[in-house]
Amino acid sequence: MGGHFVARRLATAFVTILLIILVNFILFRAMPGSPERVILRGTPNVTQAQLNAARERWGLNDPMFPDQFVAFVGATVRGDLGYSFVARGQTVADVLAHRIWPTILLFGLGEAIAIVLGLALGALSGWRRGGPVDYLGNGVSLILYSTPYFLLGMALLLIFGSWLRMFPVFGMVTAGATYAGFLNYLGDLLAHLTLPLITVALGLVGQYAIVMRSSIIETLSDDYVTTARAMGLREGRILRHHALPNALLPTVTLIAINLGYVIAGAITVEVVFNWPGLGTLAVEALEARDYPVLQGVFLLLSVSVVLANFVADLVYGLLDPRVRS
Amino acid sequence: MAIEIALPRPVAAGRFTRLGGVFRALVRRPDGLIGLAILVVFTVLAIAPDLFVGPLQTAVTGREAGYPRLSPPTAGLPLGTDELRRDVVNLTVHGARVSMIIGLLATIITVLVGAVVGIVSGFAGGRVDGVLMRITDFFLVIPTFVLALILTPIMRDVLGSGSREILGIRMTLVVIVIVIGVTSWSSTARIIRSQTLSLKERAFVDRARVIGAGSGHIMRRHILPNVINLIVANTVLVFAGAVLTETTLSFVGLGDPAQPTWGQRLEAARSIGAPGLGAWWYFVPPGVCIVLVVFAFTLVGSALDDLLNPKRRQRR
Repeated sequence: MGGHFVARRLATAFVTILLIILVNFILFRAMPGSPERVILRGTPNVTQAQLNAARERWGLNDPMFPDQFVAFVGATVRGDLGYSFVARGQTVADVLAHRIWPTILLFGLGEAIAIVLGLALGALSGWRRGGPVDYLGNGVSLILYSTPYFLLGMALLLIFGSWLRMFPVFGMVTAGATYAGFLNYLGDLLAHLTLPLITVALGLVGQYAIVMRSSIIETLSDDYVTTARAMGLREGRILRHHALPNALLPTVTLIAINLGYVIAGAITVEVVFNWPGLGTLAVEALEARDYPVLQGVFLLLSVSVVLANFVADLVYGLLDPRVRS
Repeated sequence: MAIEIALPRPVAAGRFTRLGGVFRALVRRPDGLIGLAILVVFTVLAIAPDLFVGPLQTAVTGREAGYPRLSPPTAGLPLGTDELRRDVVNLTVHGARVSMIIGLLATIITVLVGAVVGIVSGFAGGRVDGVLMRITDFFLVIPTFVLALILTPIMRDVLGSGSREILGIRMTLVVIVIVIGVTSWSSTARIIRSQTLSLKERAFVDRARVIGAGSGHIMRRHILPNVINLIVANTVLVFAGAVLTETTLSFVGLGDPAQPTWGQRLEAARSIGAPGLGAWWYFVPPGVCIVLVVFAFTLVGSALDDLLNPKRRQRR
C-alpha cells in the first residue's frame, strides 16, 4: 500500500475530527446564556466579581477565533471535556469512561453477529435470486430495515420478558445481587445481555443483507463469473472462489459508512432495556440538559466512527489494489 | 426572442407526461402498488383524523367519557386505553397526522438543501465543489442523530418553545423539523452531484453556454429538469428516513405530548414500562403504523429508483 494513499486518508480523518471539535465549539457558544453563566450554572448568588473571574479563568475575554478555539481544541485533545452539570465534581471523561464498556460489549457483539448473518443471508438471497429464499429473505430484510431498533426491543421484551418470562427485563445485572463466583456473575450478565443483543443483531441484519444481496447480484453479471461458468466450474465453487470475494469488497465501505447511522438506532436499544451504556447516558443527559455530557457522547461516538471509516479505507486499500492509485 | 427560441430544452417539454408514464409503470409493479396503497390509507387518515375518530382526546375528555385507566382492549375500546384514560385508537389515528406532516416538512427541507448543494457543487467544480463536498462527507460520516440530540434542546432554548404554532405545528415540533432537515441532506447532495457531474459534460450544456447563458440559468433550465427524476425518487426514500428519525427523536423524549406522534406514543409506553407490564395495546398500534409507513415509502422509493435512476436502469 502506497504511503501517499495512507497519508491522504489520514488527512481526511484528521480534518473530519477537527470539524467535529468545531461543531462542539459552536454548540457550546450557541447555548442560551453567556458561557460564564453556563459554567456557573447551579451556583447560588453569583457576584459580578465571580463572573469576571470565570471569564478571565476560561479565557472568555480573548478573541473567539483563533484564541478560544485553539484552547478548546487543545483541551479536547488532552481529554479535558469539562464537568458534568448533573454529576457534580465528576469530569465528563470520567462519566463517559464508566459507561463505555457496556456499549462496546452490546454493540460490538451485536454488530459481529449481524455482519456474519446478514452477509450470509444476503449472499444466499442474491445467489438464488427470485427463489423462495430470496423472496422471504428480501421481505424480512425490508421489514426489519423499516423497524426502529427500539421498537423491535419493545416487542422482544413483551414476548420473552413479560409473556414467556424467559429473560430479565431490566439492566445489566440483577440489582443488589451477590455472586458465589465469577461463573454465576457471568450467567447473570448473559441472561441480561441476551434480549438486547438479539435486538441489536436483528436490527442490523436487514441492511447488511440488502447491501450484500445487491452487491452479489452485480458481481454475478461480471465477465469472469460467466467465464468460470463457461469453464464448467461447479456453482458452489464459483460462488465461494469467484463471486463472494469480489462482492464482499463494497460491503466493507458500506458497513463503515453506515456505522454512524447504525449507532443512532443501537443506542436507543439500551434505553428500552435500561442497559447502562452510552445510549442511556445520552438520554439521561438529555433529560437533565447536561450539555457537556451530551457533547462528550457526540465527540466520542463521532470520533469512533471516523476512525472506523479510516480503518475500513485501509482495509479496502489492502484488498483492492485499484483504489490505491 | 431569437435567442430564447435557440435555447435547447431537452427534457422540460415532455416532463409531466413522462411522470404520468412513470406512475402507470409504478402501479403495474406489485411492490409499487402495495406501497402506494398503504400510503393512500395513511394519507387519508392524516388529512382528516377527526372524521374517523373525533377530535384528539386529552386526559380531561378521557375522564369525562368514563374510560378505565390502562385498560386492555374491550368491545367498546378495540385497542384499550392509556394511563390517562385516552382511547388508543384515537391517539394512533391522530398520530398519523402529526407524524406525516413532520415527515413531509422535514423531507422538503432535506431535499431542497441536498439538491441545491448537489447541483451547485457538481456544476461549479473546483474550490466550491471541494468545500461543499468536505461538508457533505462530514455530515455523511458522523452520527447525525447524536448531533440532532444536542441541537434540538439548544435550538428550543434559543427559539423559545411556548405555544406558538407554525402551519398548525407547535414550535417544539418545528424545531424537530428543522433539525432533521439540516442534519440529513448529505446523501441527497451526493447523488444529485454525481448526476450533475455527468450532465454538465453533455453537448446541450456547452450549446447553452456558447449562446451566452449564465451559470444560474443553465443550472435552473438545463441541469434541474434532468435531475428532477432522481430528486423525486430520492424524496420518497428521504421521507422514510425522516419518519424514522422523528420517531427516534420523540422516543428519547424530544416529542411534544400536546401533539403526539407515533414516536411520542412509544416514548410514553416505555416510560410507564408498558412492554414489561404486558400492555401490548399501548405500543403495538403506533409501532405497526410506523413500520407500515416506512416500509411503504421504502417500497415505492426503491421502485421509483429502479424506474427513474439512469444508473439503475442500465443495469437491468
